[in-house]
Amino acid sequence: MSVTARPGEGEVLVFADYTDDFREDADVVVVGSGPTGAVVAYELAASGKRVVLLEEGPPFTPEDFVLEGGLSMTRTLREGGLRATRGYVVPTMQAICLGGGSLVNSAICPRAPAFALDAWCTNFELARTTRKDLDPHYDAVGEFLGIAPTPDDVQGPRNLLFRDGCRALGYSSEPIPRNVRGCRGSGECFTGCRSRAKQSMDVSYVPAAIRAGARVLTSARVERVEVSGARAQAVTGRVVAPFTGKPGPRFRVTAREVVLAAGCVATPVILMKSGNLANRSGQVGRNLQFHPGVAITGVFPERTHPQFGATQGYQSLQFIEEGFKLETLWAPPAVLAVRTPGFGHEFKRRLSEAPFSATWDAIGSCHRSLGHVAPRRRSMDPVLHYRLDEQDVMILQRALHVLAEIFFAAGATKIQPGVHGLPEEMRSLSEADVLRSKPMRPTDLIVGGNHVFCTTRMHGDPKQGVVDEDGKCHDLENLWIADTGIFPRCSSVNPMFTGMALAHRQAGAIAERLP
Amino acid sequence: MAAGTARYPAAMPIRLLLAAAVLALAAWGLWRLLGGYAAGVGPGRVLSRRERAFVDAASEAMFPPGGAIPPSGHEARVTDYVDRYVERVPGGIRLLMRLLFLLVEQATLAFPAPGRGGRRRFSALSVEQRMAALEGWRTSRLFPRRLVFMSLRAILCMGYLADPAVLRHLGVAPYEIAPVVLEPDLLYPPVGQPRSAIRWTRADLTPASDGTPIPLDAPLHPDYRPGPA
Repeated sequence: MSVTARPGEGEVLVFADYTDDFREDADVVVVGSGPTGAVVAYELAASGKRVVLLEEGPPFTPEDFVLEGGLSMTRTLREGGLRATRGYVVPTMQAICLGGGSLVNSAICPRAPAFALDAWCTNFELARTTRKDLDPHYDAVGEFLGIAPTPDDVQGPRNLLFRDGCRALGYSSEPIPRNVRGCRGSGECFTGCRSRAKQSMDVSYVPAAIRAGARVLTSARVERVEVSGARAQAVTGRVVAPFTGKPGPRFRVTAREVVLAAGCVATPVILMKSGNLANRSGQVGRNLQFHPGVAITGVFPERTHPQFGATQGYQSLQFIEEGFKLETLWAPPAVLAVRTPGFGHEFKRRLSEAPFSATWDAIGSCHRSLGHVAPRRRSMDPVLHYRLDEQDVMILQRALHVLAEIFFAAGATKIQPGVHGLPEEMRSLSEADVLRSKPMRPTDLIVGGNHVFCTTRMHGDPKQGVVDEDGKCHDLENLWIADTGIFPRCSSVNPMFTGMALAHRQAGAIAERLP
Repeated sequence: MAAGTARYPAAMPIRLLLAAAVLALAAWGLWRLLGGYAAGVGPGRVLSRRERAFVDAASEAMFPPGGAIPPSGHEARVTDYVDRYVERVPGGIRLLMRLLFLLVEQATLAFPAPGRGGRRRFSALSVEQRMAALEGWRTSRLFPRRLVFMSLRAILCMGYLADPAVLRHLGVAPYEIAPVVLEPDLLYPPVGQPRSAIRWTRADLTPASDGTPIPLDAPLHPDYRPGPA
């Protein structure tokens, strides 16, 4: 079967629609329907281009959401939600569903701070990526998604206590800006928003792209980019069954411009599987960075009703230039319990304090800690290696101590820092002083691999980076990368909004090439 | 040649003894791996009878009866949950999880539990010995051992904290939320079904959420309400 996408004929195909091998042709093929790919697809479709958007995962309806965290992860996340790095073991989650990570993240949308973008420009020979340059693109995406600070009436006590603790200490704090319209405070961002309030891509940019004429092919896994000379010709791959990944018919999509937005982990794997494509710099798959996250649970004398409230409603940027950002946190209890110390009756006692508890986390701008992505043999899954640098451990240590300060300032009676070799519970700030005074090793901490960056980084010098400032590969005339892999360094704050702003700019650059 | 012939009869008993020892060791190894499991625990969807026996024993040590949360790991049907969970994860992860179970089950050989018979399989130990064995993993100076403990506990925790009675007790069971049907819901069928299975039409569209906070005493989702199991 052969289909040529035409403007104004948008639709979405699902697994059951594919019976035979097929071909498609378009002006632009976008691989990946996460926040960045969805923006590119919509903007180009809206400008009249014939767009095919490919997504490996299925679309989820509210009926498909599983409220229980563990089983939900097996459905919406790659490798059942149990993907982890080698070397220093850090769990990291990548989504496999229409809308990508936006379906299961907390909708956090801060703009990257000016100093972080200035550092990108200075260190990576970029000329047009300051905050001032990106603000118009942030504005456009923000307006489309209704990004706004989380209102107080859906914060709930566990978020507001963070605000109170920061205020008592004179630290800045603010409601987290989120891509949400009409949040009711169900705290279910991680398993899918049943209120349909979260503006994940599957309910925002992707439907808009379809209305504008894009063809959206779900359950379509891209495995190779075909190249002729210096031009990408097509992407090829297999239809895969939801959840099992069982391969089905093959497909080939030819396009004048090819955009890889499969994510910071999958995009380099596709490039490497395509004959080490776009890698004259040798940087594809290298420079892997995370925002390593640590968290503390605190127990308060009054009920915190943790089930109610925005999943992550408050943040503090007070220490952003020192290298960490502070946030409130909620997730399915089984996910949060990973950091609760002990087992047996002691563990049950600590779990039973949940109605009085709050968990707050810190994410570190740990750009000294690096890793790399490599493809597995006979699989599109990656092997991830990562090492946490000792200086970055000190940043996380400092962040833990600041979190302890905020907890006790907010009235917590005790905290659980979850650090090996330290007391499992601390009942005063003086007890918590050990968090900053004791030398720690990376393996003493329970660290989550939040956000992923830099595996196809942008750099003004083609010898040192994979893509240019617009996200076009230095080595090819028409191959673009539009995910957080192009960040030259971690963004210091949650990256989704910055990724979308860059994608918005990139869509303009692609449109200019397609009269 | 003559000397070799002379040595041959003397070497025979040693070789026989060695062979017998190897056979005995293999038989003991096989029995340790496969034998002696109670017949009462049946196989699950994916997990074998032996693996289920291990998970049940581990969950009972991790979440013993009584204490601050009434249901035990056994009562919360953690083993059934883990069986379903293992069934749903990809093959590579499934293999790693089963190896994890095997490792902890058999590692009492290298890290025996205190007391008499501490080198028996984990699932054959008394509850106190199992708890002591887990404590050894948890507090080890070796990071890989601690990692094994954290991995096992995370898997068991997912099962325990999926139980509606446990979640109700903790006050964190999901609320009932009235369905909202918006334009995008007209595009997608439930996962795995054809587009003809899209159950909504434009007539079913509802207003978007107006942001009214969910009351703290809102009813629970029907799956989490008290009632017959």
